[in-house]
Amino acid sequence: MAALAELAVAPADLAELTAQMDRIVGFVAQLTALGDLSIGAAEPLGPRVTPLRDDVVTPADLGLGPSDLAPEFVDGFFVVPRLGAMEEP
Amino acid sequence: MTWETVIGLEVHVQLATRSKMFCGCSASFGDPPNTNVCPVCLGLPGALPVPNARAVRLAVRAALALDCSVQEESVFARKNYFYPDLPKGYQISQFDRPLAIRGRLVVESADRGAVAVSIQRLHLEEDAGKLLHDRFPGKTAIDLNRAGMPLAEIVSGPDLRSPAEARSYLTALKQILVYAGVSDCNMEMGSLRVDGNISVRRTGETTLGTKTEIKNLNSFANLERALTAERDRQQALLEKGGRVEQVTLLFNAASGDVRPMRSKEESHDYRYFDDPDLPPLVVGPVALQEIGAELPELPGAKQARLMSAYGLGAYDAGVLVSERPIADYFEAVCRAGADPKSAANWIINEGSPYPEPASLAELIGLVAGGTLSHQAAKRVYPELAPGSAPREVAERLGVLQVRDEAALRRWVDEVIAAHPGEVARYRAGEARLLAFLTGQVMKRSRGSADPKGVQAMLARQLEGS
Amino acid sequence: MSAREVALAVGARLGEADRAGLNATLAWSEAALLAEAERVDALPGQGPLHALPVAIKDNIVTTGLPTTCGSRILEGYRSPFDATVIRRLHAAGAFVACKTNLDEFAMGSSTEHSAFGRVLHPMDHARVPGGSSGGSAALVAAGVVPMALGSETGGSVRQPASFCGVVGVKPTYGRVSRYGLVAFGSSLDCVSVFARTVGDAARLLGVIAGPDPRDATTLSAPPITPHAPVRSLSGTTIGLPREYFPGDLDRGVRAACDAAIARLRELGATIVEVSLPHSALAVPAYYIIAPAEAAANLARFDGARYGARAPAGGDVRALYRATRGAGFGAEVRRRILVGTYVLSAGYYDTYYGHAQAVRRRIAGDFSHAFAGGVDFLFTPTAPTTAFKAGEKTGDPVAMYLADVFVCPASLAGLPAMSLPIGRSEGLPIGGQLIAPPLAEAGMLATAAALERVLDAGAEVR
Repeated sequence: MAALAELAVAPADLAELTAQMDRIVGFVAQLTALGDLSIGAAEPLGPRVTPLRDDVVTPADLGLGPSDLAPEFVDGFFVVPRLGAMEEP
Repeated sequence: MTWETVIGLEVHVQLATRSKMFCGCSASFGDPPNTNVCPVCLGLPGALPVPNARAVRLAVRAALALDCSVQEESVFARKNYFYPDLPKGYQISQFDRPLAIRGRLVVESADRGAVAVSIQRLHLEEDAGKLLHDRFPGKTAIDLNRAGMPLAEIVSGPDLRSPAEARSYLTALKQILVYAGVSDCNMEMGSLRVDGNISVRRTGETTLGTKTEIKNLNSFANLERALTAERDRQQALLEKGGRVEQVTLLFNAASGDVRPMRSKEESHDYRYFDDPDLPPLVVGPVALQEIGAELPELPGAKQARLMSAYGLGAYDAGVLVSERPIADYFEAVCRAGADPKSAANWIINEGSPYPEPASLAELIGLVAGGTLSHQAAKRVYPELAPGSAPREVAERLGVLQVRDEAALRRWVDEVIAAHPGEVARYRAGEARLLAFLTGQVMKRSRGSADPKGVQAMLARQLEGS
Repeated sequence: MSAREVALAVGARLGEADRAGLNATLAWSEAALLAEAERVDALPGQGPLHALPVAIKDNIVTTGLPTTCGSRILEGYRSPFDATVIRRLHAAGAFVACKTNLDEFAMGSSTEHSAFGRVLHPMDHARVPGGSSGGSAALVAAGVVPMALGSETGGSVRQPASFCGVVGVKPTYGRVSRYGLVAFGSSLDCVSVFARTVGDAARLLGVIAGPDPRDATTLSAPPITPHAPVRSLSGTTIGLPREYFPGDLDRGVRAACDAAIARLRELGATIVEVSLPHSALAVPAYYIIAPAEAAANLARFDGARYGARAPAGGDVRALYRATRGAGFGAEVRRRILVGTYVLSAGYYDTYYGHAQAVRRRIAGDFSHAFAGGVDFLFTPTAPTTAFKAGEKTGDPVAMYLADVFVCPASLAGLPAMSLPIGRSEGLPIGGQLIAPPLAEAGMLATAAALERVLDAGAEVR
């Protein structure tokens, strides 16, 4: 799971973390003991229909731009290390 | 033992909008990197998506043009994965409730005639940014101008049976989408992208073989080459008794090979779930009807109508409808009085730049009436700038067909005098040299002489003595 | 007072709070306060919140001060845009006083999970103020600011309001724009308000509520206008859901609720018992849905485009893993892992699908109760008074159960609030009102009526 979530987990923490995960998943798993839940649906929250935006260009007009926010920004590009093990999806 | 190839194509087209799919950033191409960005498409904390009305409209148009069933309610879903060109760490797409399903596109196959290729689905999603791997050594450069651009993903069924058919399908798909004004479908600029799925099985088998996916093909020709190479590879492998592995491949245009791009253990778990930031997308019956009414006459229908209304053959009609402006031009030339078959010939053979419809119609009339020879008219055609009349241009070029006996006589005499050898041989019985001598007169007259008159005059002249 | 005087006074109180070690703030400065004062002075008229200092939970983005969400991964981050709620506060003439401490990315019920240290309960420094909006609650309770913005996903404003003895109000989901609220559980998140009185809370909520074209989940609803004071509740039916009054409920909490119920009766309200049978499933369902959405919402924090970046050799994957591994605290990492797990291949139906079905059932319970003639529900807000720091951090599930009474209304998207109804051993106790969708005005009026006749500071027996 940590790999899927791109989270580094130190080997020393693995055992405790796994135990905590077992505890949490065990707790939420009580839901799975229930039977059919398909009846009794309530009204959905929020709007029923997504509002749409007119196709108009509205510049962001930001006080801070990518170059101000980025840890590494060269010649107009965000810069990160090479792809390496991360293959194209 | 014969093999059958089974191909399906997944096509992404960039929709022709002014702004991005979920934010108001400009959709223009080619701007300096990271200048068309905002909190939403940068994935800044706190930003939220709001869908582009025109993108929805264009996607529905595409769906209707492809005979799909447009779903009144469809849902945006998050496709979760990590990659540097994906700012939020997920792509907003559609998963189990797409905008449209169950369409079809009829394609002309060289082997099988007209084939109805099924369109399994058409859905909306946002594009990712662009990565440059060679800009900074050992590093990856990211440009997010393209991140958030509106895409329609169109997935065909596994109905294509050859690489050539796949190419025909893509050509037909591009044609119909350009007609409908949905996208400019330009593969070089990236507004049309295609991935191919291909498998092979023994002829007669009903189950599908293991398929491989070929990604990021950048031209129609490479699509066909790559599919051919992979079909051959799979066939050879199976013939030796091997097994095809389900991998993703990249095509190397230089070598003509396909190679795996991902190890087989790592397949993506996208963990799709409905995007809680976006309530359902609703396209009601009134909107659907309005959008349907926006559709122009589509290529298939237009081709059939040109054939029946103007008496054109299938091939000529097909060439004329390959691009809507050309078909429209053809009809304008006919409306200006030209004979349809001549108009079709001129448009197909001479091409652009196209004269004004009235000018071309007039030119065709001049040839039909004998005022210009066909050859001379070909010289006039490229000179027909807007506002200039064909007859004036012909006069200026000095190619108005000359029938005047005296003028013809002068040229004929000159040619006879200049080619005594050929004259003698003709008189000796080499009848085909008449055509050569006629040609020489035509040359001398810069194409303006009436060829029939010239030929007759030469024949009479050379008869005597 | 002039805006400048307000700014200096707030600055002085913030300084005192810092010196007292409350640790309720993550960012404030006299320069920023004076800049706010200048801005307010330049406004043409006097808006409904003129020159009022409002503390802002640090998961709401502001251009004037950094936004960290209580996390190292956003240390030093300066948002280039203001949240919609901030722009509305500004338009109403209010000050942004400071950014307040919170459980990291709003994940927690005690504010012990902040990367920048826990917040102390103003009345007992050994105890927690509740969470995740603990910093905002503490500042209002300590009198540093009269009002504050917080956020709720599973009760993170009502619960600390109860612990700290202030008013906390969560609107109907979609009533207040989330544009600029750093997303945690997108289908649950609500910007919510703290104040010392129901009237102030109503005023603040009225200013920030309203549809926003930048947030596709906002509702078109009429503005929340403050009610004329209500003296009598005759004609109002208040439901008491039996599942919220278990036999082993803390005796102090029970006593405070009994007293409040008695006051409601005296005001003329009809009191009925109701049942919300799926209540016990709310916390487990929440701890599937919220982490799942959170795992996706937090995927953007990778050190590539903003925020902190861990030094890492190797490829981009190494950068992501190191940055996220170091930048996220333990609770956030747990939630991301749970969220990733419950959505992963083969588990969607078992967990996430099931939880959404349970959620619909819980919402159905409330609809049924309201359709049966109940105007509002009354319950305890929290099962206990403020617990001691460190008491629940050993077991994640124990911490989750602190939300047992506030979680269901979050899942159902209903407006809900807590107001102080008494003290037990000197510690505040909150009573909760839950209303049907879009019924904030009536809920607030009912709460105001109760507030008038209650002595919230009284020790209950």
